[in-house]
Amino acid sequence: MIHHHDVIIIGGGLTGLRAALQIKDAGLDGAVISKVHPLRSHSVAAQGGMNASLGNVEGEGGVKDSWKNHAYDTVKGSDYLADQDAVELMCREAPRTVIELEHMGTVWSRLENGKIAQRPFGGAGFPRTCYAADRTGHNALHTLYENMVGREIPVYEEFYLTSLVIDEGRCVGCTALDIMTGEVHGFQARAVLLATGGFGRIYDRSTNALINTGEGASLALEAGAQLKDMEFVQFHPTTLYGTNILITEGARGEGGILLNKDEKRFMEGYAPRTRDLAARDVISRAMEQEIAEGRAYPGGYLYLDLRHLGPDKIRERLPGIRQIAMDFAGVDPIEEKIPVQPGQHYSMGGVDVGMGGATSIPGLYAAGECACISVHGANRLGGNSLLETVVFGRLVADKIIEDVSSINFTEEGPIKTAMINMDIKIGDILGREEGENLFQIREAMTRTMSQGFGILREKQEMQESLQEIKKLQKQLPRVSLQNSKRELNQALVRFLELEGMLLLSEAVARSAIAREESRGSHFRTDYPGRDDVKFLKHTLIDLKDDEMRVSYKPVKLGMFELEERVY
Amino acid sequence: MIKVNPKIKVYRFNHEMEFPHYDTFEVEPHPGMTVLGALFQIQEKYDDSLAFRYSCRGAVCGTCAMLINKVPRLACRSQVEDLLKDKVPETVTDEDISRADEDISWNPEEEVLVEPLPHLPVIRDLVVDMDLFFQYYRLVEPTFRPAGPDPEKERLMDPGAVKELGVYANCILCGACHAACPVVGENPEYLGPAALAKLYRFYIDPREEEGDSRLEKGDILNGWWACESYGDCYRVCPRNVPPIVAIRQAINQLNKRK
Repeated sequence: MIHHHDVIIIGGGLTGLRAALQIKDAGLDGAVISKVHPLRSHSVAAQGGMNASLGNVEGEGGVKDSWKNHAYDTVKGSDYLADQDAVELMCREAPRTVIELEHMGTVWSRLENGKIAQRPFGGAGFPRTCYAADRTGHNALHTLYENMVGREIPVYEEFYLTSLVIDEGRCVGCTALDIMTGEVHGFQARAVLLATGGFGRIYDRSTNALINTGEGASLALEAGAQLKDMEFVQFHPTTLYGTNILITEGARGEGGILLNKDEKRFMEGYAPRTRDLAARDVISRAMEQEIAEGRAYPGGYLYLDLRHLGPDKIRERLPGIRQIAMDFAGVDPIEEKIPVQPGQHYSMGGVDVGMGGATSIPGLYAAGECACISVHGANRLGGNSLLETVVFGRLVADKIIEDVSSINFTEEGPIKTAMINMDIKIGDILGREEGENLFQIREAMTRTMSQGFGILREKQEMQESLQEIKKLQKQLPRVSLQNSKRELNQALVRFLELEGMLLLSEAVARSAIAREESRGSHFRTDYPGRDDVKFLKHTLIDLKDDEMRVSYKPVKLGMFELEERVY
Repeated sequence: MIKVNPKIKVYRFNHEMEFPHYDTFEVEPHPGMTVLGALFQIQEKYDDSLAFRYSCRGAVCGTCAMLINKVPRLACRSQVEDLLKDKVPETVTDEDISRADEDISWNPEEEVLVEPLPHLPVIRDLVVDMDLFFQYYRLVEPTFRPAGPDPEKERLMDPGAVKELGVYANCILCGACHAACPVVGENPEYLGPAALAKLYRFYIDPREEEGDSRLEKGDILNGWWACESYGDCYRVCPRNVPPIVAIRQAINQLNKRK
């Protein structure tokens, strides 16, 4: 079956839904494809908040916040790898974006005077983070979905993206697997927007939802687009020991502190000024060092202490965190410290796009975590990812609306061919009688990536890990599944996910090996310093004839001078 | 720590079968293992055709609600060890929940019984068709309707009002209440606790126009009035949303006006 829409949006998280609303309001026919019901997207799990210089809460000494301060913090946080024009755009658009969500119905937390509340977050000079208790993503996503329902925008739920269709150099649609029936559908469109989120599940300790497997980025790479800055993977300092479920930075924003085995507030030694609210990469490295030097608890965890905040503040501002700690660690933060360790949290890298979200393939766009525009550079600040999703969901939709006015539907031939090819491929996967075990390969991949490309990296170990990933890639064509049925075959979906993840793992590996410096989240024990002469540039990966190639492109500077990054 | 390896007794069905059956799997326990974790172990080690929905694994997305030891709950939030000891989470008291299904025997000391959510058609194994659930959600028109044109900045809101609204805005639409409600079981046309709680969330939003249009939306035979106050909706809710309170409040308001 072939479906026709002006714009196909892949992904039903904040970026995808915000874009879909914009496209509908412009009078175009857009549809969302999502591998889960949109409300199950990972955006729903975002806790802490969304940064915007509303200035509802004054900074130290009564100083008012501004978009420029926000931009400065973001660029500094990025270790100067963010493109400053994109950062400027995002920070200028931030206040109206928070307010736009309010106008659509989001229940933001409020100050006594009725304005939207704001709290301090890591790496930020002002209390800038707007929040809805510690369920900001939940509130924002439900709001956007409620507006989708109001506008009756079609959603292809539980459809898994299987390929992007390129005809004469232009993206003309995609194919997707209807998970329930096992049938391959074709989608013809005048433009395709990838909003598929991050790829955290290539690691074994991740805060990401289990669905965050990054197929948008891997299929874009296969289709001929470039990936950018893939070596920059954020490790969040506070993930719950055992399950690695996120404990928001807002917990430290509200006054929570980190303690080591000796009950010492160890961040005082690493970031004397900002301590527990230094940037995420700084704190994660400090924790890794505490663990390595034997000042953590057996198994490798430290404590996040909230007890001094008191029951009222914890109940009111951090109810979700309290629930998570009780449900998944059996700990009530009102009475006990929370065991935490760093874990993979965010993919700064993604599909290389320009300011309007266009990839190098005409007709193909990307926004949100799956894209790299780049507003986060080498390290993202907390509260900037929710912001990015909604700002660029809207702005990239605007660019698409402008671009498609001159684009017509072409013939269906290429879509049909892609459907047949995908059908043959799936038939082949399901037809294999005996072979390798899918889940063992997946486990080996996540273990390898954590070992070789975690918080601290070094040449030899990285190279060995890359070889292991290459080996796993070669095993993939020999994988056989027990379930050979088409209908609701989750093993098949997990096979397709793994195929893409192994490709992304290689992209992370090659980018990390090539960058012989330390910047933001990418820390090389063999090159511990930042090297602006050689590496103040974006890494690009492209794929030709099954070979990945690394190249570079310049960073857009301009607003802020390079500085050493001290917190 | 568990001494004997726990068993998971799972409901199995697909459209090629005439009747559903149960498969029992022994799983290797680890501290903190959840039912979702056990299902993954089964899928990865024993039978990759086992179907169940999942996403966040942190009790915030609402994907993995299923009937566990005859109580609708999130698989990711339910620990195998607690279930074996029958130490159910504090908000759920096993005995209080009305059981919709016919009895199936299981040994609660060694086994955890995992079945699909009741009151919704089964597609395969633990995956149910949520269409009807979301149809009722759409029927209550869950889209914000502000009182006037958008101001330049945010509409001001009293923090107290936000708090009350938050109680209902917290709903993750997992369907556990719908599955637990005895009225839904008897009357499939009843909008159900989740849809009505959503409707109430908009009714009490101080930014919406004052008036009764939201109340009236549920003022139908299968709306507010169909609730029989069992309260199972609140007891099973993983987010402590109390649809029963919303429904009673709405009925009080309607009674006052009549």
